[in-house]
Amino acid sequence: MQQQAQPSPSPKPKKKIRVPRVVNGVEQMVEIEVDEDSGPGWGPNDKHRLLNQRITRVDGPLKAAGAARYTHDQRLPGMLYARILRCPHGHARVTKLDTDAASKIPGVKAFIQAPLTELRFAGAPVVAVAATTPEIAGDALRAIKVTYEVLPHVVHAAYAIKPEAPKVVAEENNLQEKGKNGDPTKVEAAFATADEIVEAEYTSPRIHHACLETHGMVVDYRGGDSATIYASTQGTFTIPGDAAKELGLKESNVVSSVEHMGGGFGSKFGIGTEGMLACRLSKQTKAPVKMMLTRYDEFVMAGNRSAAWQKLKAGVKRDGTIVALQARQYRLGGIGQGSQAGQPFIYTMGDTYREIYALHTNEDSAIAMRAPGYPQASFAAESLVDELAHKIKMDPLEFRKKNLRDQVYHRQLDRGAREIGWSRRNPVAGGNPGPLKRGIGCAVGIWGGGGNNQCKVDVTISRDGSVVVAVGTQDLGTGTRTYMRAIVAEEFGLGIKDVKEQIGNSKLGGANPSGGSTTAPSLSPSVKDAAIKTRLLMAQRVAPLLGNAKPEEVAFADAKVSANGKSMTWREACASLPAAGITGHGEWRSDLQARGVHGVCFAEVEVDVETGFVKPIKMVHVQDGGLPLNRLTFESQINGGMIQSLGMALYEERVMDAQLGMQLNPGFGDYKLPGTLEMPEMVPIIDDDDKREAVIGVAEGCNIPAVGALANAVFNACGVRVRDLPITPDKILMGLMNTSTSRA
Amino acid sequence: MKSFEWTNPKTINEAVKLLSVAAPPADIDEAPRPLAGGQDLLTTMKDYTSRPARIVNLKNIPGLNRITLTARGLNIGARVTLTELEEHPGVRKSFPGLAEAARSIATPQIRNLGTVGGNLCQRPRCWYFRLEEVICLKKGGTECYAASGENKYNAIIAGGPSFIVHPSDLAPVLLALGARVTVTGAKGRRVIPLDKFFTLPSDGNIRRENVLENDEIITEISVPASPLAAHSTYLKFKERESLDFAMAAVAAAIQLAPNKTVRAARIVLGGVAPIPWRVPAAENYLTGKTLTPDVLAEAGKIALADARPLEKNAYKVPLTQTLVRRAVAKAAGV
Repeated sequence: MQQQAQPSPSPKPKKKIRVPRVVNGVEQMVEIEVDEDSGPGWGPNDKHRLLNQRITRVDGPLKAAGAARYTHDQRLPGMLYARILRCPHGHARVTKLDTDAASKIPGVKAFIQAPLTELRFAGAPVVAVAATTPEIAGDALRAIKVTYEVLPHVVHAAYAIKPEAPKVVAEENNLQEKGKNGDPTKVEAAFATADEIVEAEYTSPRIHHACLETHGMVVDYRGGDSATIYASTQGTFTIPGDAAKELGLKESNVVSSVEHMGGGFGSKFGIGTEGMLACRLSKQTKAPVKMMLTRYDEFVMAGNRSAAWQKLKAGVKRDGTIVALQARQYRLGGIGQGSQAGQPFIYTMGDTYREIYALHTNEDSAIAMRAPGYPQASFAAESLVDELAHKIKMDPLEFRKKNLRDQVYHRQLDRGAREIGWSRRNPVAGGNPGPLKRGIGCAVGIWGGGGNNQCKVDVTISRDGSVVVAVGTQDLGTGTRTYMRAIVAEEFGLGIKDVKEQIGNSKLGGANPSGGSTTAPSLSPSVKDAAIKTRLLMAQRVAPLLGNAKPEEVAFADAKVSANGKSMTWREACASLPAAGITGHGEWRSDLQARGVHGVCFAEVEVDVETGFVKPIKMVHVQDGGLPLNRLTFESQINGGMIQSLGMALYEERVMDAQLGMQLNPGFGDYKLPGTLEMPEMVPIIDDDDKREAVIGVAEGCNIPAVGALANAVFNACGVRVRDLPITPDKILMGLMNTSTSRA
Repeated sequence: MKSFEWTNPKTINEAVKLLSVAAPPADIDEAPRPLAGGQDLLTTMKDYTSRPARIVNLKNIPGLNRITLTARGLNIGARVTLTELEEHPGVRKSFPGLAEAARSIATPQIRNLGTVGGNLCQRPRCWYFRLEEVICLKKGGTECYAASGENKYNAIIAGGPSFIVHPSDLAPVLLALGARVTVTGAKGRRVIPLDKFFTLPSDGNIRRENVLENDEIITEISVPASPLAAHSTYLKFKERESLDFAMAAVAAAIQLAPNKTVRAARIVLGGVAPIPWRVPAAENYLTGKTLTPDVLAEAGKIALADARPLEKNAYKVPLTQTLVRRAVAKAAGV
């Protein structure tokens, strides 16, 4: 009998590649070494039995029934509840902190002062309290007496940029130059060759992740040398190190558990300030501490999408060629750096020159949020492109094709145009009769979505026929559990229900944090690799029982294992395994994933020009993504991207008061997320013309173009170009009044 | 929220006694409060806008949840839910504007619990008022921050010194139809015409939005039968359809003569003033006229003649003019 070599440590030729690694939700490119030759691939995208099909998510019933356990649901014996007192001023120093009265309230157990000396935004944590009930903790907060030295603040960018504005950080300018690209002289020369020029400012406000489960964790430490942290996080493995440091324990003695989590969108990495305070309270009281942010806390301190202010000037020739772009881009990240992709974003715009600045205000730091910096840049670029097309009276779809080199966009634009009915589009903005006017717009998007080598997966087959795929990764609601099962089940010829998954625990194999749409392209190759190796181990085991077949001849299909015309049921085959079963270990393979996605979005809206109301009618998004692991999840990602973009385009905005320096709408009443009645007909289209047999992350790609498409649709409908998001009725009405005044 | 005493009276008189405290609290927002649906009260308690020492639960008092329709009019128990009002066949047929207003409120879940009495007694939605850290004029402070701040949603008519808008959607329709409110308090029972119920910040207690004493409970709202009621409508403009308060709203009731001229008109604006704002000048203008597009547009202009927008809410003027035009046309069926 010829034994096939074990998946072995024999030295293989290596190559160096660059992959994204996510740090605090933001991708950074790093160089790693991987095997040069590749193993068995996924096969053609249209030849899968489970993958690339529509699989209902395996955790769906648990979630629908309310049985899925989130961090919010954790209730441990003797657990204390923590709350955080927040600074009510935009900028202040604590001069006196008096907890005497608060500490006399029965049930109050501990206080920990936040480590900040200078509080640079309203909502900054001042002190945390732990008590036997959340209500007592709330009472304690209100009994704490804090004396502040109130310092001048600035919360609006237009004021922050002025020389006389208060400084967010003493001795530092609010405006910080972050880079210049291109040759301004060349650009000036190119402008001279343009037939038309458009110069415009685009602004998008700070918006919120709005995770249904707020940030937080339960720190289960009762003294001793070990602890368990239940965390609502996008990175199981981003928790133990920081928590161990705060608790004074060895990292290996701290376990994090993330069974289910209620949304992150880029905002949940590491333990955060709230986790640090929770750990310190737990350490001090030697009792489990539950620290879940309130909704108010979540708005004022758990992060937000960077606001943006972009001054753009572009020149175009009458034939539709964009010849020059000059951009001045301000990243508005509060006390943080903010994020904004550089212009001209996706388009080819001839000679370009850009300056990027960070402009600081007294607001909590912007953090990663779904395609950090991209939706903002896309909104401005796509509006500008539309304005240029309008200026030279060219169809904006043809105009886009003329200035987009990548042919994938051309294909996708044609597909989307057919689906939305671009030919119905009124060529004259606002030209439809009557007060209810329809309009159509479009835009394009781009993202990376490649993986990296952080996932270590084990697949174990037991003698009783059970199959478990295990890795410490987390499922953000993106269907991780489901595709893990599907990959393994397909490899073994089994059904989804025949495989179980174990995830969300730092004792399991390592995994990357879920940021930058890197989870699926990092995890699925490791799962596939583990499944292939385990299948080979199994084949070696059962081949002698199938007429001494060669292991590579053993087929796995329909819950049977067969070769040489002989066949065993899966159960019979597994009965031949050793008592401990068999386990195959999977590592990442670069050849099973890829990087780079394209998407286009089309939107149709109806604008009531007598009230300014915008009704979204239909949205179409065409997205490529290599091999779709699960078509249902892929479509959900596309829908989710459209919905989040709809919120950014038409409804969502953090409102800050200049005088008080605080957020005026820190709740779901006044912070307006789109609801069920705002939903248009949504058509998610997977671009199956993408034949790459590779997994690529798609979440963020789906979240980029729709804002621009909606803004352009509004213009096409009513002739008002709103350059300041969100596009609300007041802006449209005032725009219409100005238009009619200027016409008259 | 602040901890409180929970009480469960079985009769109105018992409830009134529980609301009457010998020594009124120094801060009016710490006085005992009645709870019906609790949909607004609980939110004000959660943000510490109100901090009642005692909650008087009205749910166990019989007789407050009936809708009675007779030849003389409509009687609505104060604890009737918004859903019950919205779905009542008689209300839908004879008082359609009232059913439309009920349906425009919040979400189905809130309407299932929120009551008619509670809807009239809602506190303002102004975000300065609702923030715990902000002590504005209406919370005993010295400044209306909306006057020069983020005032997109605030009053354009009759504002000052506070610029809240009244949040009730039922009130404009009820006012248009000449409703009266029956209340019971320590001093007994009284019937208040709705046009005497709400108070402007400039002429009432700045800490309150109506004439109710702390110990008074609304027991019933009565709407007289009239030829106008069957031709009533409510148009509410929301920035977000799914769940929102009015940016502007118009209740209109129009009775036409056989020759299609207007015999009687009632127009009340919502979402633009600290109280539901009736516009008699527009009503008078319409009376006797045929509702042509020009007449409708002129009525809209007249209705907003007193508007004095703040820095960020000038849009409310053309918006409300449109709503007046559309509401009158809809109510008249033209």
